[in-house]
Amino acid sequence: MQNSNIQTAPAKALVAEAIRKAYGATVALQHADITLEGGEVHAVLGENGAGKSTLVRILTGAVAPDAGSIHIHGKPYRPHSIEDARTHGVATAFQELSLVPNLTVAQNLLLPHLSRGIAGMVSGRRNIERAAQILAEHKLGRLDPRVDVSTLPLADRQRLEIVRALKNAGSVLILDEPTASLAETDWLFEQIERVTARNVAVLYISHRLSEVREICRSATVLRNGATIASVSLAEATDGDIFEMMVGKKVRDELSGEGRTRTSGDIRLKVSNLSGGTVEKVSFDLKAGEVLGIAALEGQGQRDVFRMLAGLEHVQHGSIELDGKPYTAHSPRAALKAGSGVAYLPEERKTEGILAGMTAASNVVLPILGKVGFPAIVNDRVEFRMAKDAGERVDMAPRYLGFAIGDLSGGNQQKALIARVLATGARTLLLFDPTRGVDVGTKASIYAAIRAFTDEGGSVLFYSSELPELVQLVDRCMVLYGGQVATTYARGQIDERRLVTAMTGHFDARERVAS
Amino acid sequence: MTDLTQTATSSEVQAPQGRLAGQTFARLLQGGLIIVILYFALYALYFYQQPRALSAGSIAALMNNTVPLALAAAGQTFVIISRGFDLSVAGVISVCNVVMAVYPLDGPGGAVMSILMCVAIGGSVGAVNGFLVAYLRLQSIAATLATMIICQGVALVILNAPGGRVADWLSYELTDRLFKTIPISGLFVLAVVLAWLYLRRTSFGISLYAIGADEHAASLSGINVRKVRFFTFVSAGVLYGLAGFMLSAQTATGNPTSGTPLLLLSFAAVALGGTSLAGGKGSLFASVMGAATLMLLQKVLFSSGVSSFYTGVFQGCVLVIAVVFSGLIEKLGERAAKL
Repeated sequence: MQNSNIQTAPAKALVAEAIRKAYGATVALQHADITLEGGEVHAVLGENGAGKSTLVRILTGAVAPDAGSIHIHGKPYRPHSIEDARTHGVATAFQELSLVPNLTVAQNLLLPHLSRGIAGMVSGRRNIERAAQILAEHKLGRLDPRVDVSTLPLADRQRLEIVRALKNAGSVLILDEPTASLAETDWLFEQIERVTARNVAVLYISHRLSEVREICRSATVLRNGATIASVSLAEATDGDIFEMMVGKKVRDELSGEGRTRTSGDIRLKVSNLSGGTVEKVSFDLKAGEVLGIAALEGQGQRDVFRMLAGLEHVQHGSIELDGKPYTAHSPRAALKAGSGVAYLPEERKTEGILAGMTAASNVVLPILGKVGFPAIVNDRVEFRMAKDAGERVDMAPRYLGFAIGDLSGGNQQKALIARVLATGARTLLLFDPTRGVDVGTKASIYAAIRAFTDEGGSVLFYSSELPELVQLVDRCMVLYGGQVATTYARGQIDERRLVTAMTGHFDARERVAS
Repeated sequence: MTDLTQTATSSEVQAPQGRLAGQTFARLLQGGLIIVILYFALYALYFYQQPRALSAGSIAALMNNTVPLALAAAGQTFVIISRGFDLSVAGVISVCNVVMAVYPLDGPGGAVMSILMCVAIGGSVGAVNGFLVAYLRLQSIAATLATMIICQGVALVILNAPGGRVADWLSYELTDRLFKTIPISGLFVLAVVLAWLYLRRTSFGISLYAIGADEHAASLSGINVRKVRFFTFVSAGVLYGLAGFMLSAQTATGNPTSGTPLLLLSFAAVALGGTSLAGGKGSLFASVMGAATLMLLQKVLFSSGVSSFYTGVFQGCVLVIAVVFSGLIEKLGERAAKL
């Protein structure tokens, strides 16, 4: 249904070929290809870390690709800034929202080209009028353009972000998780239909597959930074898509080794825990058990860990550790509570290591108190204390003397795992402990976790890599929208099921009473 | 979570008018309402102690004392709103002061040359700061610490001990009163405040607040963050140059360390004016009033017979009280804005 007065472009709206981008040693995009037709809504699908956000950042001019070419309507396109991308008609509604909180709705909407009045001064009245008109055009007339963005609820901020992108999109509109804070999609889909009628190509990123099916005709699937396929959504089943997202990975080493674990006593009992984005999460963690958490980015997993570790305030609910009420107001309190709870944070660089100190110092940090006050802590004492813990994660003692910042990511991570093991805590909260480490280190970390649980320790384990969950955990809980969507017992865990549940498509019949 | 759903439903109804009123109130507070009230209260006390306080002569004297700090604080406000710190203020003022004492240029033409020189010195130091911070991405406190130390060294090279003499025409005319009533130094501050009121309504002004509040969002909104940050430091430098010029007119002599006492007081004046050191909020006018309050406090203490050794103690206490108080009032304002 082409609008007659729009000249049908001979070339595709956007063609990106062989895009590659690496950040240091980490390759975010290996080989991404995507083609958008004018007036089409095209989805980009992929797991966390598949390279979706890097692709968005390249197309918007926030980062420059290392290799590859992009053409818009047949002309080469290499934006060096967001503003530059906009002049080419590419506009983006960012997932993280790019509104400035202390400016008004009107200013945010019109930046950086505010209407000027006398002597180049920004004319308040004219901007408000223009903004009001734009808002009315997009059926957001109820928003007052004069109020500060900081006073708006999150859903309205998201709508405003989308309106700004709609307004600026001349040829390509990128919507990165546009429905993350929207309860319903009617408004958004109506707006999308309006821009596609103008022959604008829409790149739509969402992890909600049902929504994608409703609005998109075709999709490009990314995995590990590479385009796997571009498919017509009418012809692909959900199963096909999940298969493409997850890939056919080597299952031999991943299948459980048939270890039957005697389920011990309940170590950690969490009932109706609420706080942050988490609502009424309940689960039990038994002694000798690895309980996995599978979730897409931002489904509340971070809040669960941080609340248990004493870094975030618990609003409601109760936690029991070995049958006794457990409240931790700091990670230190968590370590000292009962049999001890130790937390391995997500961000190795910013929350984990102390880059300038030796690996040994980093390992023994939480247990330095055990040396006692008058005793001198020198390198020798630290080394002795760190050596045992280091051995449990297969860390060569020779690394202990180096500044941890100079070690490889894998050894840094080993040192951090050694740190939580050294605390003597019987419950470990491991948040994505193998992110960005090599296969060998992963194996050592898995072995350390197994050895720990074999001795009766308990582990709560979140990973962004599904194969890892399948391989390691005894039970796997799926979080979606801050709630426990479902829990799978060991025999039931497979990647396809997890992805389905993670994207909100879990089947109530598969629910397992824990 | 219950909170979230509540706000979501309330958003569906028409935004209440109270939100806008609360926002206007918050703007007024940011514009320095509290510090203006505090200033006049203090001035009333001063008048109660010294009935001469309202004579044109003593107003002018107070104004002359205030102007260098007011201009330094005005420059500092630019950088602080953009979420930075600028220590080079001390160095720039010292350099301008010794240059004017060592190379006095007499007459009105000389005054114009001197003011241009000071502005050029301040602007160039500001450009160096801006380059280091905006383009080389150094932390502002480290970059400006370096330029401050360099400038202080340069000042000592130009004049290694207090001395020299600022042109007579300058030191006489700039401390005088126009039509025997309006202090001339005050006109400089007025001009700066007017320029600010203009500037904050330009794209540059709005971008300045935007990068101070959220640099990432500002850049995603299409603002050229580097350029704005660069010109923030240049504008600040120009104002420090002006402060150095006015200080020289007041003291009539050169001192290679003359800028140092203004360094911390400029931060105090900005904080007293209610500008958040975390960036994105505040007003240049409020900082000017903050500077005026600090200087007035000195006078009041002096006329109360308090030993000048206690001045610092009182200034510090007033600062803490004002910041706590404006924090409380601001919370009330924000609450009103969110209703």
